[in-house]
Amino acid sequence: MPSYKLNYFDARGLGEVSRQIFILSGTPYEDNRIPRDQWPALKDKTPFGTLPVLEVDGKQIPQSLAIARYLAKEFGFYGKTPFEAAWVDALADQVKDFLAEMRPYFAVAMGMVEGDKEKLKAEVALPAIEKHFGLLEKAAKNNGNNGHFVGSSLTFVDLLIADFINSVEGLVPGFTAPYPAVSAVKTKIDNLPKIKEWIEKRPKTVT
Amino acid sequence: MPEYKLVYFAFRGLGEVPRQLFSLAGVKFENVRIEDADWDAGKRPETPFGQMPVLFVDGKPIPQSFAINRYIANQYGFAGKTPFEAALVDAFADQFKVDFNTEFKKYWYVKQGDEPGDVEEMKAKHGIPARDSFFPLVVKQLKKSGSGFIVGDAVTWVDVLVANATDYITVLEKDLLNDYPEILAHKEKIHSLPGLKEWLKIRE
Repeated sequence: MPSYKLNYFDARGLGEVSRQIFILSGTPYEDNRIPRDQWPALKDKTPFGTLPVLEVDGKQIPQSLAIARYLAKEFGFYGKTPFEAAWVDALADQVKDFLAEMRPYFAVAMGMVEGDKEKLKAEVALPAIEKHFGLLEKAAKNNGNNGHFVGSSLTFVDLLIADFINSVEGLVPGFTAPYPAVSAVKTKIDNLPKIKEWIEKRPKTVT
Repeated sequence: MPEYKLVYFAFRGLGEVPRQLFSLAGVKFENVRIEDADWDAGKRPETPFGQMPVLFVDGKPIPQSFAINRYIANQYGFAGKTPFEAALVDAFADQFKVDFNTEFKKYWYVKQGDEPGDVEEMKAKHGIPARDSFFPLVVKQLKKSGSGFIVGDAVTWVDVLVANATDYITVLEKDLLNDYPEILAHKEKIHSLPGLKEWLKIRE
Protein backbone atom coordinates (compact mmCIF):
# COMPACT_ATOMS: atom_id res chain seq x y z
CA MET A 1 0.00 0.00 0.00
CA PRO A 2 1.53 3.36 -1.01
CA SER A 3 1.47 6.24 1.43
CA TYR A 4 -1.03 8.91 0.47
CA LYS A 5 -0.99 12.56 1.48
CA LEU A 6 -3.65 14.95 0.22
CA ASN A 7 -2.61 18.60 0.46
CA TYR A 8 -5.39 21.17 0.28
CA PHE A 9 -6.80 24.12 2.16
CA ASP A 10 -9.05 23.70 5.17
CA ALA A 11 -12.09 23.46 2.90
CA ARG A 12 -14.21 20.93 1.02
CA GLY A 13 -13.97 22.55 -2.41
CA LEU A 14 -11.88 20.65 -4.91
CA GLY A 15 -10.34 18.35 -2.32
CA GLU A 16 -13.41 16.80 -0.76
CA VAL A 17 -14.16 14.27 -3.53
CA SER A 18 -10.71 12.72 -3.04
CA ARG A 19 -11.03 12.63 0.74
CA GLN A 20 -14.32 10.75 0.32
CA ILE A 21 -12.73 8.23 -2.06
CA PHE A 22 -10.15 7.42 0.64
CA ILE A 23 -12.84 7.18 3.29
CA LEU A 24 -15.21 4.99 1.26
CA SER A 25 -12.41 2.62 0.30
CA GLY A 26 -11.15 2.47 3.88
CA THR A 27 -7.72 3.70 2.77
CA PRO A 28 -5.53 5.52 5.28
CA TYR A 29 -4.32 8.93 4.09
CA GLU A 30 -2.91 12.10 5.55
CA ASP A 31 -5.51 14.88 5.27
CA ASN A 32 -3.07 17.81 5.23
CA ARG A 33 -5.01 21.07 5.54
CA ILE A 34 -2.78 24.04 4.83
CA PRO A 35 -3.63 27.31 6.61
CA ARG A 36 -4.02 30.20 4.15
CA ASP A 37 -1.15 32.16 5.71
CA GLN A 38 1.26 29.25 5.22
CA TRP A 39 0.32 28.79 1.57
CA PRO A 40 2.52 31.48 -0.08
CA ALA A 41 5.67 29.84 1.28
CA LEU A 42 4.60 26.43 -0.03
CA LYS A 43 3.33 27.48 -3.47
CA ASP A 44 6.62 26.96 -5.30
CA LYS A 45 6.94 23.46 -3.89
CA THR A 46 3.85 22.36 -5.85
CA PRO A 47 3.93 21.39 -9.53
CA PHE A 48 1.61 24.19 -10.71
CA GLY A 49 1.53 26.59 -7.76
CA THR A 50 -1.94 25.28 -6.90
CA LEU A 51 -3.79 23.00 -4.50
CA PRO A 52 -4.91 20.27 -4.19
CA VAL A 53 -1.79 18.17 -4.69
CA LEU A 54 -1.80 14.45 -3.97
CA GLU A 55 1.46 12.82 -2.90
CA VAL A 56 1.74 9.10 -3.64
CA ASP A 57 4.90 7.82 -1.95
CA GLY A 58 6.10 11.41 -2.21
CA LYS A 59 5.40 11.78 -5.94
CA GLN A 60 3.12 14.73 -6.66
CA ILE A 61 -0.06 14.86 -8.74
CA PRO A 62 -1.72 18.29 -9.13
CA GLN A 63 -5.22 19.22 -10.41
CA SER A 64 -8.29 18.12 -8.50
CA LEU A 65 -9.93 15.95 -11.19
CA ALA A 66 -6.64 14.28 -12.19
CA ILE A 67 -6.27 13.33 -8.52
CA ALA A 68 -9.88 12.19 -8.14
CA ARG A 69 -9.72 10.11 -11.32
CA TYR A 70 -6.40 8.51 -10.28
CA LEU A 71 -7.87 7.48 -6.92
CA ALA A 72 -11.22 6.47 -8.41
CA LYS A 73 -9.44 4.13 -10.84
CA GLU A 74 -7.39 2.68 -8.01
CA PHE A 75 -10.34 2.06 -5.71
CA GLY A 76 -13.11 1.15 -8.17
CA PHE A 77 -15.18 4.34 -8.45
CA TYR A 78 -14.65 5.04 -12.16
CA GLY A 79 -17.42 3.04 -13.86
CA LYS A 80 -17.42 -0.56 -15.04
CA THR A 81 -16.53 0.03 -18.71
CA PRO A 82 -14.53 2.56 -20.74
CA PHE A 83 -17.82 4.00 -21.99
CA GLU A 84 -19.07 4.50 -18.42
CA ALA A 85 -15.72 6.05 -17.50
CA ALA A 86 -16.12 8.51 -20.39
CA TRP A 87 -19.51 9.55 -18.98
CA VAL A 88 -18.03 9.99 -15.50
CA ASP A 89 -15.41 12.25 -17.08
CA ALA A 90 -18.01 14.14 -19.13
CA LEU A 91 -20.19 14.89 -16.11
CA ALA A 92 -17.18 15.89 -14.00
CA ASP A 93 -16.14 18.34 -16.72
CA GLN A 94 -19.72 19.64 -16.89
CA VAL A 95 -19.45 20.39 -13.14
CA LYS A 96 -16.17 22.23 -13.79
CA ASP A 97 -17.89 24.25 -16.54
CA PHE A 98 -20.67 25.07 -14.05
CA LEU A 99 -18.17 26.21 -11.41
CA ALA A 100 -16.34 28.37 -13.98
CA GLU A 101 -19.60 30.10 -14.92
CA MET A 102 -20.49 30.59 -11.25
CA ARG A 103 -17.12 32.10 -10.38
CA PRO A 104 -18.11 35.79 -10.76
CA TYR A 105 -21.07 35.19 -8.45
CA PHE A 106 -19.15 33.07 -5.91
CA ALA A 107 -16.38 35.69 -5.66
CA VAL A 108 -18.85 38.39 -4.68
CA ALA A 109 -21.13 36.17 -2.58
CA MET A 110 -18.12 34.97 -0.55
CA GLY A 111 -17.01 38.54 0.01
CA MET A 112 -13.73 38.17 -1.90
CA VAL A 113 -14.58 40.77 -4.54
CA GLU A 114 -16.85 43.83 -4.52
CA GLY A 115 -20.02 43.57 -6.52
CA ASP A 116 -23.79 43.46 -6.68
CA LYS A 117 -24.56 40.07 -5.20
CA GLU A 118 -28.26 40.08 -6.05
CA LYS A 119 -27.66 41.19 -9.62
CA LEU A 120 -25.06 38.49 -10.15
CA LYS A 121 -27.32 35.90 -8.57
CA ALA A 122 -30.07 36.74 -11.07
CA GLU A 123 -27.83 37.20 -14.11
CA VAL A 124 -25.10 34.62 -13.50
CA ALA A 125 -25.94 32.08 -10.80
CA LEU A 126 -29.55 31.21 -11.54
CA PRO A 127 -29.03 30.77 -15.31
CA ALA A 128 -25.90 28.66 -14.69
CA ILE A 129 -27.80 26.48 -12.22
CA GLU A 130 -30.72 26.07 -14.63
CA LYS A 131 -28.46 25.15 -17.53
CA HIS A 132 -26.09 22.76 -15.80
CA PHE A 133 -28.37 21.16 -13.26
CA GLY A 134 -30.90 20.69 -16.04
CA LEU A 135 -28.27 18.61 -17.83
CA LEU A 136 -27.28 16.73 -14.67
CA GLU A 137 -30.94 15.94 -14.00
CA LYS A 138 -31.30 14.62 -17.55
CA ALA A 139 -28.19 12.45 -17.10
CA ALA A 140 -29.44 11.06 -13.76
CA LYS A 141 -32.88 10.33 -15.25
CA ASN A 142 -31.41 8.69 -18.36
CA ASN A 143 -29.32 6.53 -16.06
CA GLY A 144 -32.51 5.20 -14.52
CA ASN A 145 -32.90 7.56 -11.55
CA ASN A 146 -31.10 4.94 -9.43
CA GLY A 147 -29.16 7.26 -7.15
CA HIS A 148 -26.12 7.31 -9.46
CA PHE A 149 -25.16 9.50 -12.36
CA VAL A 150 -23.46 6.70 -14.28
CA GLY A 151 -24.06 2.97 -14.18
CA SER A 152 -25.35 1.07 -11.21
CA SER A 153 -22.66 1.74 -8.64
CA LEU A 154 -20.98 4.74 -7.11
CA THR A 155 -18.56 6.77 -9.20
CA PHE A 156 -16.54 9.78 -8.16
CA VAL A 157 -18.85 12.15 -10.01
CA ASP A 158 -21.65 11.19 -7.57
CA LEU A 159 -19.39 12.35 -4.72
CA LEU A 160 -18.29 15.49 -6.58
CA ILE A 161 -21.81 16.70 -7.29
CA ALA A 162 -23.26 15.70 -3.92
CA ASP A 163 -20.65 17.80 -2.13
CA PHE A 164 -20.83 20.87 -4.40
CA ILE A 165 -24.57 20.98 -3.83
CA ASN A 166 -23.80 21.83 -0.19
CA SER A 167 -21.81 24.89 -1.22
CA VAL A 168 -24.39 26.16 -3.69
CA GLU A 169 -27.23 25.40 -1.25
CA GLY A 170 -25.65 27.75 1.27
CA LEU A 171 -26.06 30.62 -1.20
CA VAL A 172 -29.22 29.58 -3.04
CA PRO A 173 -31.25 27.58 -0.54
CA GLY A 174 -33.61 25.00 -1.99
CA PHE A 175 -32.12 25.23 -5.48
CA THR A 176 -32.28 21.48 -6.04
CA ALA A 177 -36.08 21.37 -5.78
CA PRO A 178 -36.58 21.10 -9.58
CA TYR A 179 -33.96 18.32 -9.80
CA PRO A 180 -35.32 15.22 -8.01
CA ALA A 181 -33.00 12.69 -9.69
CA VAL A 182 -29.97 14.80 -8.76
CA SER A 183 -31.32 15.13 -5.20
CA ALA A 184 -31.71 11.34 -5.05
CA VAL A 185 -27.97 10.96 -5.73
CA LYS A 186 -27.15 13.40 -2.94
CA THR A 187 -29.46 11.64 -0.51
CA LYS A 188 -27.89 8.28 -1.35
CA ILE A 189 -24.34 9.60 -0.88
CA ASP A 190 -25.10 11.48 2.34
CA ASN A 191 -26.58 8.32 3.85
CA LEU A 192 -23.73 5.95 3.10
CA PRO A 193 -22.53 4.97 6.60
CA LYS A 194 -18.88 5.98 6.05
CA ILE A 195 -19.86 9.29 4.44
CA LYS A 196 -22.48 10.03 7.07
CA GLU A 197 -19.87 9.46 9.80
CA TRP A 198 -17.35 11.64 7.95
CA ILE A 199 -19.87 14.47 7.45
CA GLU A 200 -20.48 14.52 11.19
CA LYS A 201 -16.83 14.61 12.21
CA ARG A 202 -15.13 16.57 9.39
CA PRO A 203 -14.14 20.22 9.91
CA LYS A 204 -17.15 22.41 9.15
CA THR A 205 -16.38 24.82 6.30
CA VAL A 206 -18.56 27.09 4.17
CA THR A 207 -17.15 25.73 0.91
CA MET B 1 -13.54 -2.24 -34.61
CA PRO B 2 -16.30 0.04 -33.31
CA GLU B 3 -17.93 2.58 -35.59
CA TYR B 4 -16.89 6.07 -34.65
CA LYS B 5 -18.71 9.25 -35.58
CA LEU B 6 -17.37 12.60 -34.39
CA VAL B 7 -19.90 15.41 -34.61
CA TYR B 8 -18.67 18.99 -34.35
CA PHE B 9 -18.78 22.32 -36.10
CA ALA B 10 -17.15 22.78 -39.49
CA PHE B 11 -14.08 24.37 -37.96
CA ARG B 12 -11.18 23.02 -35.89
CA GLY B 13 -11.91 24.28 -32.37
CA LEU B 14 -12.60 21.48 -29.89
CA GLY B 15 -13.03 18.95 -32.68
CA GLU B 16 -9.47 19.11 -33.93
CA VAL B 17 -7.78 17.16 -31.13
CA PRO B 18 -10.13 14.14 -31.36
CA ARG B 19 -9.69 14.18 -35.18
CA GLN B 20 -5.91 14.23 -34.69
CA LEU B 21 -6.04 11.41 -32.12
CA PHE B 22 -7.95 9.15 -34.54
CA SER B 23 -5.41 10.01 -37.24
CA LEU B 24 -2.51 9.22 -34.92
CA ALA B 25 -4.13 5.89 -34.07
CA GLY B 26 -4.77 5.11 -37.73
CA VAL B 27 -8.45 4.60 -36.93
CA LYS B 28 -11.26 5.44 -39.35
CA PHE B 29 -13.97 7.77 -38.14
CA GLU B 30 -16.89 9.61 -39.70
CA ASN B 31 -16.02 13.30 -39.47
CA VAL B 32 -19.39 15.07 -39.31
CA ARG B 33 -19.01 18.84 -39.63
CA ILE B 34 -21.99 21.06 -38.86
CA GLU B 35 -22.10 24.52 -40.45
CA ASP B 36 -22.61 27.47 -38.08
CA ALA B 37 -25.55 28.66 -40.15
CA ASP B 38 -27.32 25.32 -39.74
CA TRP B 39 -26.64 25.12 -36.00
CA ASP B 40 -27.90 28.68 -35.51
CA ALA B 41 -30.99 27.95 -37.58
CA GLY B 42 -31.84 25.07 -35.27
CA LYS B 43 -30.75 22.28 -37.62
CA ARG B 44 -28.91 20.40 -34.90
CA PRO B 45 -27.96 16.77 -34.49
CA GLU B 46 -29.17 14.87 -31.42
CA THR B 47 -26.71 15.50 -28.63
CA PRO B 48 -26.86 14.57 -24.93
CA PHE B 49 -26.31 18.14 -23.69
CA GLY B 50 -27.12 20.32 -26.69
CA GLN B 51 -23.40 20.88 -27.17
CA MET B 52 -20.66 19.62 -29.45
CA PRO B 53 -18.32 17.82 -29.88
CA VAL B 54 -20.03 14.48 -29.38
CA LEU B 55 -18.37 11.16 -30.17
CA PHE B 56 -20.72 8.35 -31.14
CA VAL B 57 -19.30 4.89 -30.45
CA ASP B 58 -21.47 2.31 -32.23
CA GLY B 59 -24.24 4.90 -32.05
CA LYS B 60 -23.86 5.67 -28.32
CA PRO B 61 -22.90 9.29 -27.54
CA ILE B 62 -20.11 10.67 -25.37
CA PRO B 63 -20.16 14.46 -24.77
CA GLN B 64 -17.41 16.84 -23.52
CA SER B 65 -14.21 17.23 -25.49
CA PHE B 66 -11.77 16.00 -22.83
CA ALA B 67 -13.91 12.93 -22.04
CA ILE B 68 -13.79 12.18 -25.78
CA ASN B 69 -10.03 12.77 -26.02
CA ARG B 70 -9.34 10.56 -23.01
CA TYR B 71 -11.65 7.82 -24.32
CA ILE B 72 -9.89 7.67 -27.70
CA ALA B 73 -6.49 7.90 -25.99
CA ASN B 74 -7.32 5.04 -23.63
CA GLN B 75 -8.54 2.83 -26.47
CA TYR B 76 -5.42 3.37 -28.59
CA GLY B 77 -2.57 3.78 -26.10
CA PHE B 78 -2.10 7.55 -25.85
CA ALA B 79 -3.10 8.04 -22.20
CA GLY B 80 0.22 7.32 -20.49
CA LYS B 81 1.83 3.96 -19.70
CA THR B 82 0.97 3.85 -15.99
CA PRO B 83 -1.82 5.23 -13.80
CA PHE B 84 0.62 7.83 -12.47
CA GLU B 85 1.54 8.94 -16.00
CA ALA B 86 -2.16 9.07 -16.91
CA ALA B 87 -2.74 11.35 -13.91
CA LEU B 88 0.02 13.72 -15.05
CA VAL B 89 -1.44 13.76 -18.57
CA ASP B 90 -4.83 14.66 -17.06
CA ALA B 91 -3.24 17.31 -14.83
CA PHE B 92 -1.47 19.10 -17.70
CA ALA B 93 -4.61 18.89 -19.83
CA ASP B 94 -6.76 20.47 -17.11
CA GLN B 95 -4.11 23.10 -16.43
CA PHE B 96 -4.25 23.97 -20.14
CA LYS B 97 -8.05 24.11 -20.30
CA VAL B 98 -8.97 25.68 -16.98
CA ASP B 99 -5.98 27.76 -15.96
CA PHE B 100 -4.43 28.74 -19.30
CA ASN B 101 -7.18 28.77 -21.90
CA THR B 102 -9.91 30.46 -19.85
CA GLU B 103 -7.64 33.49 -19.50
CA PHE B 104 -5.86 33.30 -22.85
CA LYS B 105 -9.04 33.12 -24.91
CA LYS B 106 -10.12 36.51 -23.57
CA TYR B 107 -7.22 37.87 -25.65
CA TRP B 108 -7.40 35.33 -28.46
CA TYR B 109 -11.06 35.84 -29.37
CA VAL B 110 -10.35 39.56 -29.76
CA LYS B 111 -7.19 38.85 -31.74
CA GLN B 112 -9.15 36.56 -34.07
CA GLY B 113 -11.80 39.21 -34.50
CA ASP B 114 -14.54 37.05 -32.96
CA GLU B 115 -15.09 39.54 -30.18
CA PRO B 116 -14.73 43.31 -29.95
CA GLY B 117 -11.95 44.86 -27.93
CA ASP B 118 -8.54 46.43 -27.86
CA VAL B 119 -6.10 43.76 -29.03
CA GLU B 120 -3.02 45.25 -27.37
CA GLU B 121 -4.83 45.84 -24.10
CA MET B 122 -6.22 42.30 -24.00
CA LYS B 123 -2.81 40.90 -24.93
CA ALA B 124 -1.15 42.67 -22.02
CA LYS B 125 -3.94 41.95 -19.55
CA HIS B 126 -4.80 38.34 -20.46
CA GLY B 127 -2.70 36.90 -23.30
CA ILE B 128 0.80 37.35 -21.98
CA PRO B 129 0.08 36.52 -18.33
CA ALA B 130 -1.73 33.32 -19.39
CA ARG B 131 1.11 32.37 -21.72
CA ASP B 132 3.74 33.01 -19.09
CA SER B 133 1.99 31.07 -16.36
CA PHE B 134 1.34 27.95 -18.46
CA PHE B 135 4.15 27.38 -20.96
CA PRO B 136 6.97 27.47 -18.39
CA LEU B 137 5.26 24.54 -16.65
CA VAL B 138 5.33 22.53 -19.87
CA VAL B 139 8.96 23.46 -20.55
CA LYS B 140 9.93 22.35 -17.03
CA GLN B 141 8.11 19.04 -17.55
CA LEU B 142 9.69 18.51 -20.99
CA LYS B 143 13.10 18.92 -19.39
CA LYS B 144 12.10 16.43 -16.71
CA SER B 145 10.79 13.80 -19.14
CA GLY B 146 13.74 14.26 -21.50
CA SER B 147 11.92 12.32 -24.21
CA GLY B 148 10.50 15.18 -26.23
CA PHE B 149 7.06 14.15 -25.00
CA ILE B 150 5.39 15.89 -22.09
CA VAL B 151 4.73 12.76 -20.00
CA GLY B 152 6.78 9.57 -20.17
CA ASP B 153 8.59 8.46 -23.28
CA ALA B 154 5.74 8.22 -25.77
CA VAL B 155 3.11 10.52 -27.25
CA THR B 156 0.00 11.16 -25.15
CA TRP B 157 -3.14 13.15 -25.84
CA VAL B 158 -1.79 16.13 -23.92
CA ASP B 159 1.10 16.35 -26.43
CA VAL B 160 -1.51 16.59 -29.20
CA LEU B 161 -3.54 19.14 -27.20
CA VAL B 162 -0.57 21.44 -26.50
CA ALA B 163 0.96 21.10 -29.98
CA ASN B 164 -2.41 22.02 -31.48
CA ALA B 165 -2.54 25.19 -29.38
CA THR B 166 1.05 26.05 -30.33
CA ASP B 167 0.01 25.58 -33.94
CA TYR B 168 -3.04 27.83 -33.97
CA ILE B 169 -1.30 30.47 -31.87
CA THR B 170 1.76 30.72 -34.09
CA VAL B 171 -0.25 30.66 -37.34
CA LEU B 172 -2.02 33.87 -36.31
CA GLU B 173 0.74 35.44 -34.20
CA LYS B 174 4.06 34.08 -35.36
CA ASP B 175 6.24 35.54 -32.62
CA LEU B 176 4.07 35.01 -29.54
CA LEU B 177 5.92 31.86 -28.46
CA ASN B 178 9.44 32.93 -29.49
CA ASP B 179 10.55 32.87 -25.86
CA TYR B 180 9.58 29.20 -25.73
CA PRO B 181 11.77 27.39 -28.27
CA GLU B 182 11.15 24.08 -26.49
CA ILE B 183 7.41 24.51 -27.13
CA LEU B 184 7.99 25.27 -30.80
CA ALA B 185 10.25 22.21 -31.08
CA HIS B 186 7.63 20.10 -29.31
CA LYS B 187 5.04 21.09 -31.91
CA GLU B 188 7.38 20.16 -34.75
CA LYS B 189 8.00 16.76 -33.17
CA ILE B 190 4.33 15.97 -32.53
CA HIS B 191 3.19 17.22 -35.93
CA SER B 192 5.78 14.98 -37.64
CA LEU B 193 4.35 11.79 -36.14
CA PRO B 194 3.03 9.29 -38.69
CA GLY B 195 -0.72 9.46 -39.08
CA LEU B 196 -0.88 12.96 -37.71
CA LYS B 197 1.54 14.31 -40.32
CA GLU B 198 -0.77 13.11 -43.10
CA TRP B 199 -3.91 14.47 -41.42
CA LEU B 200 -2.35 17.94 -41.18
CA LYS B 201 -1.92 17.97 -44.95
CA ILE B 202 -5.56 17.15 -45.71
CA ARG B 203 -7.48 18.77 -42.88
CA GLU B 204 -9.76 21.74 -43.29
